[in-house]
Order: sequence, then C-alpha cells, then structure tokens
Amino acid sequence: WKKDEFRNCNQTPFCKRARSRKPGSCSLIAADVSISDGDLVAKLIAKQSSQENSENQEKPTKPLVLTISAYQDGVMRMKIDEDQSLGPRKKRFEVPDVIEPEFLNNKLWLQRLKKEKSEIGSGSISVAYLSEGYEAVIRHDPFEVFVRESGQNGKKLLSLNSNGLFDFEQLREKEENDDWEEKFRSHTDTRPYGPQSISFDVSFYEADFVYGIPEHATSLALKPTRGPGVDFSEPYRLFNLDVFEYVHDSPFGLYGSIPFMLSHGKSGGSSGFFWLNAAEMQIDVLGPGWNDEYSSVLMLPSDQKRVDTLWMSEAGVVDAFFFVGPGPKDVVRQYTSVTGAPALPQLFAVAYHQCRWNYRDEEDVHNVDAKFEEHDIPYDVLWLDIEHTDGKKYFTWDRALFPNPEEMQKKLAAKGRRMVTIVDPHIKRDESYYIHKEASDKGYYVKDATGKDFDGWCWPGSSSYLDMVNPHIRSWWAEKFSYENYVGSTPSLYIWNDMNEPSVFNGPEVTMPRDALHFGDVEHRELHNAYGYYFHMATANGLVKRGDGKDRPFVLSRAFFPGSQRYGAVWTGDNTADWEQLRVSVPMILTLGLTGIPFAGADVGGFFGNPDTELLVRWYQLGAYYPFFRAHAHHDTKRREPWLFGEQNTERIKEAIHVRYMLLPYFYTLFREANASGIPVVRPLWMEFPADEKTFSNDEAFMVGNSILVQGIYTERAKHVSVYLPGDQSWYDMKTGTAYKGGVTHKLEALEESIPSFQRAGTIIPRKDRFRRSSTQMENDPYTLVIALNSSKAAEGEVYIDDGKSFEFQQGAYIHRRFTFSKGRLASSNMASAALGGNKFASQCTVERIILLGLSPEPKTALVEPGNHKVDVERGPLVLRGGSGPSVLTIRKPNVNIADDWTITIFITSLHISSSPIPKLK
Amino acid sequence: TEFFVGVSPEDESYYKGLASSTAIKCKDGSKKFNKSQFNDDFCDCPDGSDEPGTSACPTGKFYCKNSGHAPVVLFSSRVNDGICDCCDGSDEYDGKTKCPNTCWESGKAAREKLRKKIATYEEGVTIRRQEIEKARLTMSKEEAELQKLKDEENILKGLVDKLKETKEEEIKAKDIQPTQKDIHDNIGAEDQPPQDSAENNHESASKPELGVHSIEDRLSNDGAAGDQDGSAQNAEQLGEDSTSGGNAGLDTGNQDENVAEDTESLSKEELGRLVASRWTGGKTDEHKEEFDASQSKDHQDPTETPNEASYEEDVGYISDDDDPRYDDDDAGNEDHVDDFDGVDHYDSSSSQRPESDDELDFSDITGTSGSSWLEKIQQRVKNIFQAVNFFQKPVNVSEAAQVRKEYDESSGKLSKIQSRISSLTQKLKQDFGPEKEFYSFYGQCFESKQNKYVYKVCPFKQATQEEGYSTTRLGSWEKFDESYRVMQFLNGDKCWNGPDRSLKVRLRCGLKNELTDVDEPSRCEYLAFLATPALCVEDKLKELQEKLESLNKDQPKGPHDEL
Repeated sequence: WKKDEFRNCNQTPFCKRARSRKPGSCSLIAADVSISDGDLVAKLIAKQSSQENSENQEKPTKPLVLTISAYQDGVMRMKIDEDQSLGPRKKRFEVPDVIEPEFLNNKLWLQRLKKEKSEIGSGSISVAYLSEGYEAVIRHDPFEVFVRESGQNGKKLLSLNSNGLFDFEQLREKEENDDWEEKFRSHTDTRPYGPQSISFDVSFYEADFVYGIPEHATSLALKPTRGPGVDFSEPYRLFNLDVFEYVHDSPFGLYGSIPFMLSHGKSGGSSGFFWLNAAEMQIDVLGPGWNDEYSSVLMLPSDQKRVDTLWMSEAGVVDAFFFVGPGPKDVVRQYTSVTGAPALPQLFAVAYHQCRWNYRDEEDVHNVDAKFEEHDIPYDVLWLDIEHTDGKKYFTWDRALFPNPEEMQKKLAAKGRRMVTIVDPHIKRDESYYIHKEASDKGYYVKDATGKDFDGWCWPGSSSYLDMVNPHIRSWWAEKFSYENYVGSTPSLYIWNDMNEPSVFNGPEVTMPRDALHFGDVEHRELHNAYGYYFHMATANGLVKRGDGKDRPFVLSRAFFPGSQRYGAVWTGDNTADWEQLRVSVPMILTLGLTGIPFAGADVGGFFGNPDTELLVRWYQLGAYYPFFRAHAHHDTKRREPWLFGEQNTERIKEAIHVRYMLLPYFYTLFREANASGIPVVRPLWMEFPADEKTFSNDEAFMVGNSILVQGIYTERAKHVSVYLPGDQSWYDMKTGTAYKGGVTHKLEALEESIPSFQRAGTIIPRKDRFRRSSTQMENDPYTLVIALNSSKAAEGEVYIDDGKSFEFQQGAYIHRRFTFSKGRLASSNMASAALGGNKFASQCTVERIILLGLSPEPKTALVEPGNHKVDVERGPLVLRGGSGPSVLTIRKPNVNIADDWTITIFITSLHISSSPIPKLK
Repeated sequence: TEFFVGVSPEDESYYKGLASSTAIKCKDGSKKFNKSQFNDDFCDCPDGSDEPGTSACPTGKFYCKNSGHAPVVLFSSRVNDGICDCCDGSDEYDGKTKCPNTCWESGKAAREKLRKKIATYEEGVTIRRQEIEKARLTMSKEEAELQKLKDEENILKGLVDKLKETKEEEIKAKDIQPTQKDIHDNIGAEDQPPQDSAENNHESASKPELGVHSIEDRLSNDGAAGDQDGSAQNAEQLGEDSTSGGNAGLDTGNQDENVAEDTESLSKEELGRLVASRWTGGKTDEHKEEFDASQSKDHQDPTETPNEASYEEDVGYISDDDDPRYDDDDAGNEDHVDDFDGVDHYDSSSSQRPESDDELDFSDITGTSGSSWLEKIQQRVKNIFQAVNFFQKPVNVSEAAQVRKEYDESSGKLSKIQSRISSLTQKLKQDFGPEKEFYSFYGQCFESKQNKYVYKVCPFKQATQEEGYSTTRLGSWEKFDESYRVMQFLNGDKCWNGPDRSLKVRLRCGLKNELTDVDEPSRCEYLAFLATPALCVEDKLKELQEKLESLNKDQPKGPHDEL
C-alpha cells in the first residue's frame, strides 16, 4: 500500500475544514416552513441575532431550500440545495439514473403540518406524517431534521444536525485573494468553482453500532474514528480508488462507494441513512462522549443511546434518505426500494468461476478445462484477463494466442460452460483501433480541464476514458457487445469490468483529475464515485441488447455505487493471499450485502502472493459460501488450480466446490429473495437474530439465508474453533447432523476437511446432491430436502426455480414452493404470485430424498399423497460424498414432483402399527 | 444386457449375486441392497456399488463397452447429463439426448493412431538400443582413455618436475646472466601452474571496472534527469533505465522506496508506467531488464565467465554434426506422437546442434597413435639429461635453452592432459540413466523457436531463453526426475516478482531428439517437451501392442448399437 500517494483528511481541505468545526456552530434556522406540492418545504437562513459569533460574518447569506418528501414504506427524502430562483453560479450536480423510477411513484402527498413547541431550545417544531407510526419533524431554531415515532413524546429515530455541524459552502464568484487551486504531489486541481463542500452530522438513536458505507477493508460494525479513547484515525473515506495491495483494518477508500449507513441496537431495531452524492465523501463515526464538552450548548436528550456520525462531501447537493426500519431487513428493503432491486443472476453465475491473470492461450484454456474433467470437479465459467486482447484493446483478441475464440467458447459451451472476458473503460489511443477512432471522432471521451480529450495512462499506455454519464454514449457502448461488433464473441461469453474507478495510473491518487469534465459540464469531482457505476450499467445494457432482451446479463464490476446491484456482481478487488485478508473478506461481503449489493465475493486464494496450501483450502471452504464464488490470481503467482496441491488437498477443494453445487437450489432461491426484497444472500447474524446482542459485532460467522450459519477458520493450523450459535433453537452440523444448543458458544475441533456450518432448527433446505460438470447439467436432477426440526417438531423452507437464464420469470414463468413440516406431515404449497398467472414454467424434477434431523422416535414408512403410496423411511447418509457418513433418517424415493402440491406423512411405528407390507418400488 | 447398464465385465459376477440372493453387500461392506435397489436411481451404497448405471451416487463409476473402440469407465456425474461421453452412446439413455454410435470411426482412428505410435516405438526401440550400445562402447573407450591419460599424466608429471628442477639449477648457476627483471618474471611465471595463470588472465580481463561504473553513472544520471521534463521518448528511456538500474543488483530491495521518493518528479508517462508496473511487475520492461540483470551478474561475478569458457572447452571435443542417427530427412519423423489421444501439433521448429565451441587441438595427445609422442618426449628429455649431467657446470647456453623449451612443451602437454582428464572425469560422473540411454545428450543442446523466443536446452548444463541478443537463463542442470521422464533445470535468473526461473523438460518417445511446446504454465516456471528415442522403451511398446491387440479383438463385432 502506497499510503503517501493518497490524500488523508488533513491534505483534503474540505475534510479538514469540516472535521475542525465545533458542535453547535451551525447558525441556520428553518423559516417559512410549509407544505407545498405534497412536500414539506422550508428555507434555511442564517440567524440574525448572532453578532457575538464572528464566524457568521463570513457566511453567505443566501437562503438554502429544504424539501422533505415522504414515500411509502417508511422512507423520508430530504433535499437541501441552493435556491435556483436566486441564480446560483452553477447548478450543482445531482446524480441521475440511480433512483428507481418506481420509487418516485410511491410518493405520499403530505397534507397537513402540525406545529408543536420544541422541547429543546426556544422555538417550535413542524411535524408531518411519514408512515404508519412515524413522523417527519423539522425543528426551526436551531435547525434540525429528524424522524420520530408518532406522537408528541415519540422517540427519536434518526436526526440530522442535532450536533449543529451542518455546513453548506455555496458557490460564489472568485474574489481577488482567493486561491482555489489545490495541489497534491505533482498534480494540480484547478478547482474553477472553488469550495462547494457540504457537511452535517447524523445521529442514530437506540443504536449500539452502525454498519455499511462500503468499501473499506475493515470490521462489519464500524469502529469510531473520533472520540475519547480512539487513537487518531482517518474518517471512513468514500472515494473510488484502485489501491495497490490494500491493507486490512483501514478506513481507507477502496474501489466502490455506497454512502448508506445502518444502525442496530439492543432493542432489536434498525434505521438507515443514505446520502445520494457521488463526490468524494468522508464519514466520521463519533465515539460516545465525543461531544461532552459541548453538551450544554447542544442540549441533546440523554435518555436515548445514540451513535453520532459526521458526513462530509466535496460537492453536490444534500439528497438524503431516512429509513425507519424497524427491523434490519426492513431498512435494507427500504434502501433497495430507492436504489433498485438486485438483479437475479443467471444460475451459472451463482456457481463456481475459475479465473487467473491470465489463461494464456487456447491450449491453456483447453488444458485447464480438461483437468477439471479429469478430476470430476464442477465449474461453470472460465475467465480471460487483459492478456487475451490485442494490445489491451478491448473487444479484440490476440490472434496468436486465441486464433479461434468462437470455437474455444463453443467447446466450453458444449459442456454447459461459459466464458468471461475483460472489458475496461480505458481506451487505447491508437488511431487504428476502431473504438478509439469512433470515440474520438464523436467526442465521446471525458475532457481534461482545458477541454481536450483527457489522456491518461493505463494498461494499454496512453488512454482516454469514455464519458459514460452521457446516455447516448452508453447506448453506443452497449452496441459494441453485439455479436457482429464484438468479433469472436458468442452467446456464452459474458463480461468483466475492471479498472472502472476509473483507474488512471498517472492521475492524482491513481484516478482521474477532479477538474476533468463530463457531459453537461459536470466536473469529475462531482460524479467520481458514480463513474464505474455508469460503465457497469452501459456494459450490462449491452449484454441485454445483445440477447434481444432475453438473456440476463452477467457483468462483474470492481467499482460500484448505489444502484450497482441492478447491473451485476462486484468483487472486493485486488486482495492478498494472507489469513487476515481471508478474515476481512467476510465483513466486506456482509457490508456489501447490507448496502444493497448481495452478489459479491472476494478472490478465492487471494489475488497477490502465493497462498500456502492450507490457506488456499480454507479460502475455498469459506469462498464456497460467498454469493460470488470465484478463484483468481495475479500473473506473478504460481498456478493454483484445485488439483495442484496433492490428492488430499484436491479432495478438500473439490469437496468445498461440491458443497456449493449441492446448495445451488438454496442459493438461487436466496438470490430470488434478494431480487424481490433486497435482503442479502449472506447476512450478518444480527439480521436474523436482531435481539441477540452477542451477534452485533460478530463478523467471523455469517448466515447464508435464514437457515445456514457458517463459521470461517482464519488461522493457520487451528486446532479448535469457537462458534457462537444464536437463538434458542438447536443447530445441526451440516456434515455430521449433530445437534448443538443455541445461545451458546461452542468450542469445536477444527477439521481440515471443512469449516463449521450449521442448519438452523426449524428450516428446510433444498439441495441437489448429484454432481455434474457444471450447473447446466443439473437442471433435471432430483432434489433432496433437508428438514431440521425445531423444538416443536416443525420446520419450513422454500425453493425458487426458473429457467435460470431468461427474464420470463418476471412474467411469472417460475416455480416457487413453500415447504412446511408440522405434526409429522411435510406439505408443499404454491408461493408463486397469483397475479402473474403462475404455472408458466414447468419442471420434471422430483424429490428423491428427504432427510429429517431432530426426529424421534423413528418412523419406518411415510405416506405420499396424492397417489396414496407408501415409501420407506430408513437410515442413510446426511451427505453422499465422503464415504459412509453419519446416518440420518431418510425418506427414500418419495419421487414427488417439485412443482406439485403434495404431502408426505410419516408414521411413527410405535403409534401406527401398520400391517400392510412395505410396497416394493420399481 | 439392460440389467447390467454401467457394469464392467469384471463386476458381472458380483451383480449376478442379486439374482440368487435377496440382497448382496455393497462392495465396501457397509450396507446391503436388493435387486429392486440395484440401478434404481437412488444411492444406497456409500461407495456407489448399487448404482453403476445411474448418476445417483457421486462416487459411482459407469462402464461403457464401446464395442469397436476401447471401453471407458466414466464418473457417474456423466450419466444422462446430456453430453455424449461414450462413443457407443450408452451413457445417455434417458431419451433426452441422442448419441450416435461413433465407436467404429473413432476406434478406427484410434487404432490407426496406436499403430503409428507402435511403429514409432518399434523404430525408436531399435534406435535406442543402438544408442545404448554406442554409449557403452564410447564410454568404455573414454574410461580406458581416462586411465591411460592418468598414467601418462604420472609419467609426464615426473618429467616436468625433473625439467623444472634442472632449469632452476641452471638459473642459479647462471648467476648474473639474466637481468634482475627477467629472473623475476620467469620465476613468477614458473611458480604458477600454467592453467592458473591462464585463469588469472581470464579473470582480469573479465573484471570490467567499467561495468560497475556504467551502472553508477546511469543511476546518477537518473537523479539528475528526473527533474527535467524531457520529451516522452526520453522519459520512457529514463524510466526503463532507472528500473533496470535498480534491478542491476545494487539496490534491488529498496527499489520501491527510491521510486516512491521520485514519483513527484516523474513525467506523466513515467508515472503511468511506474504505477502500472506495480501490478505487472515491470512486465513491459522485463526483457530489457533481464538482459541488464544478466549482464550485471557477469560484472559482479567474474568467475562465472571463465568457468563457462573452460566448460565449453571441455565439451568441445565432441562433434555429432554428421551423426547419421539424426538424419533430418528421416521419413518417420512425422509421427513422434507419444500420447494416445495425441494432441501433438507443433508449429515450432526444433533442432539440435552441438556446441559450436572452438575445439582445442587434442590431436597430439589423443588418438590411436597412442603414446608415441610421450615416448618421443621421454627420449628427448633423457638425451637432455644425459647431456646436462655430462657437462655439469657451466652450462652451455644452447642446452639451457633446450631444457627450457622442453620444459615449456612438456608442461603445456601436461596441462592439456590434465584438463582432458578433468573433463572426462566430469563427464563420466554424470547420471546417464539406468542404461546410459542419455549418454548422447552430453554436450548437446536442443533448440525450439516459439514466437520471438529461442529456447535452448543443454542437458547436464543449462537451459536458456533467447530473444535477439538477450539471454535469460531458465536454469542450471539439476537432475533427472520422475524415473528419467523429466529433466530438471533449477536456479535460473531471478524473476522480478516471482521465484527463480526453472524448467522442467518432459521426455517422450520420438525418433529423433526434438524440443517442442515450451510453455510457462506458472510465472517463471517453464515446461517443455522433448521427443527422444531414449524414451522408446520396450515395456511400453509391449503395452501398446497389447492394447492394440485387445482393440482388434473387438473389431469383428463391427458397429452396433448397444441400446
């Protein structure tokens, strides 16, 4: 990590200014509070009677315009901007194309405004309805905005400017003595519009911890960056950067930025705050007692536990969303209702991906594929990094290495496998390169401060960068992915967007200068964090267009922004092959899930460096539960395909990959849940156990859906591993079937063969236990249902099935079943939305095996209805692989169709003495 | 046959047990299964023995007969997966996928291939036998020669010592005759064994202070030039120089730091290249860098060059240029394919050639003419001594000169003999394989051109990669590995951001020595293939012949559908 090459807060004037402001220094008051066009509006003006405060003299006196709107499902939106009617110097940038259009249709038309006396300060407050049980409130003097539970004594949930740190630098004309230029190392930022930053404090009530605001290689629960007992720390930085060899446990900004934070506390409640702003942002989490010396000024309520935060941005406007929860899942749902539902990936994309920088040529590809076959290890996608191109010109092939790319892809496709090639946003400045030719002729590049095409350095050398903020350029780009335009592409080829922060090797902080200019005269500083998002969007749209809108796109992106979840997967970038990076991958991926991006993963094995064999095996064992499961490696590293570490380790890696394939029906069901509700595939424990305090800062274990708990092993040669199993129900070891008590930390023996994973009592998990070359061949394979009974001998679960590739599920072409087990009877019922008509997708798949965990005494037979036939219940292995495993109660060959309504009733022999012989089966 | 879907002939008797008894044990003995559970698409046996014909057990194995071709055992994951794996199509029987029976065609092709391979082996086995015989003869010759040389060395050494003694006495006796300086020079020279003095010359010649200077100069230039904003090309040149300078071994470890201090003064392009190089490991400059590194290595380690040179002298006596075994017009060279499923198609050229060293002339000390030269010397020396003894002192000037001349000649011969002895000893202690089948590799190099690189593999010595004038050492000879199927070269030039380079050469049967398919599967770890008659072993030939026989046995059945 080249620390010196990146700015810290002190070297970033807006951050330094904001951080040095004192609580209570905001002198704005809310005036003219009223309802207008269904919104609550007000003007923020400087307080008149404050001659004693000399700071005020320098403040611009123009009023700011504040607008509060309420949306369905507990979302409050608050905007603060300069007053356009007063002719500001420039329209400040608001990020387009992020807010879901459907969300805007859910606006509530506010009707009435209540005035109340403020409990704090002298003035009054204005109260408006927000949602069932919640109200939006403006305190006039000093100005504060908050959400509270309904009623005069309603508890505060979320507030802005309670600490009086709000500051809004309005655009102004340059004055004689102003020196607006900023220098960092050899780079000069001309800053033609001068200071324009915004900062404010946000408080989360009833909160023990706050989470979110990726991307940082740090803990899940965000540690305070200021306050008593906190060593000096940088704020959490949100600035998309290509960081070489990033370090763990750092608030430093990485590849993507999502200015969305959630809180969670003992009460079991969560709330959330999202600032839609694409400029550089810095966020402080303020430790308890940080503002003690100002308590008399602030008069904050002391009866509520609170986490204060300070948000600072270099430019843009205030466009903030408050989410009321009340549960963590509600907050995530509310957030994704604003920024969009996560796309449902194709089934293949949920399976295992094999990548390396670089699979060098067609022969290499063939050999790697052949080795997977030889070892009977499934994989779905083989990836090609930058070296496959002709001189790093994307959409081209190095024909010496890849003379027949179509044939190569077809060979893989014949086994149901896909290929991914890399396409980055830097375009080689080479007159003979058609993309460059067109882009420069049409003026499609980002411009430098002087108006010329920006010329930076990246893989191909001298490069320019497409201005993806412009919708015309995006649609031009999308056309490049058609089979005719992308020569050598086939329908089984998908795309990887790397370097889209954007990475500019010779730019300030390895990115684009802030004074570069985009479409509509927007400065790069105003939209930097969204650049990669637009590139991702344009690429994904290209793949949709390519397939006539019938094939779901798959695009992996390194940079991200709110809304990226609509376009594909992200990964945590260039990590390193060490144990700490294995550990930090979990909080990083969990954080992405909490902030709307469920389809995320870390490079299995670690990108830089050579993992020793144990680390690699552990990484596979953990990575098999990442929502995005891809092995990747730097080109200087040794080869590390699964079969290179001796038979025993090959077996372990194979087993890890098999676990993933076995659970594909479960994962896919979770991806559909994420698609429908925003709730992530992998979840912090507290999302499933919101009232269990012991889970709040646990980021070594995580939930896959609501049914599986996974505990990573993050140390070398671990003998034991401690696992906290939350809740009051039991947990079943997924390898052995052994039951463990909930609410207890168990010290278990660490096995080399696997990491601990448990099925929660009361759940039913759908599996496919047959292994194939790839997920493609599993389509018709039968299901296994694993029922883990809770203390009332009941359980439930679901499975979602569709064609795995098209968009027809949106028209109802899917199967969605609910399984419930109670009183000795398992029932499958339809969960599919009746509105869409249902039954548009058929499956011939049957259920071949039902496993019952936690049932005693043991039944001998079960009755399947309809059909009224009896099937055997006997002891069988919990997992088929790995020789003779422990035996568990198994309903043998019920062979009911997965799509049908049916029930299976078990007969406990001691209760039902059946004289009829066990029917013989064909 | 429906009943025995997926069952291998060896297992038929095991499953026949199902007909007679109600249930039989799984092969691993863990459970029992009955007839209705056999191939019923539900896994009862953990080892998969109840489901040879379905995909129900993950550990199961499916046997397809492939009449007309070779039988195959598949992973159960391939059964009814929509992909035709057996040429008889028997793995896809669920009706969802139609698999044509291609066994006859592919069997024919396979048999043809196998036949060709056998032909190669047959010829290869003969060549190999000849090689071994030749190696045996040559080696015993060399051993005899070595013994003879050692004897001669003894005699000659005695003579030389005697001559030296005499000469020194002469000088003492002559007292004032030569100038002080001459005495000094002579004694100085004569006190040293001759080969050492030669090495000294080498050493001083190859210790170019200049080299070190030039690196330092370059470095200091960089410092000065860093502030300038030169043209792009200039800057590029500087960037490369500074990288290679840093890599020249002076300050490799601190390269990053140096560079970090510098970045502010770099031009935009230099900065871009520098940052890119963090990920690529300076890949764009790699070759230049390697070239420089190897040069500087020579500068730093002056002993290496002379060693190398003397090695080349040592092996120089061999010349296989006109060896008839490696006739390039060899008609059989089309088919040096080793793999049964052969995917060997090389577009690379490959050649072998002996080291083109300047041969030392051993004609006067070797050859069948035997020791006549030694006898002559002995006679002459005897004569001299007789004369010297006769006259005692004072010594005749012409006789003294003769002693000196005789001494020079004899000690020269002695050093030649000694160097020949050492080279022969060096050679004969190598591991040439259990049957000395790799004897002929000694002193040979095999070349293959792949794209812009020429790979050169010299067994028992080293392997290199050449690009233009730049040479990268891929490794020094280490040993044979994997029962003489692999040649290992280790400790090659250091990689910028990886391990020391190394090369594995996989050997396979071919009619002539031919290097192919050089590859770098992992960074700086190279892999190549060498076809050679040395690998055409009889056992393997027998195995292939048996395989062909068993394939031919199935032939008469002709194509028919197992379904």
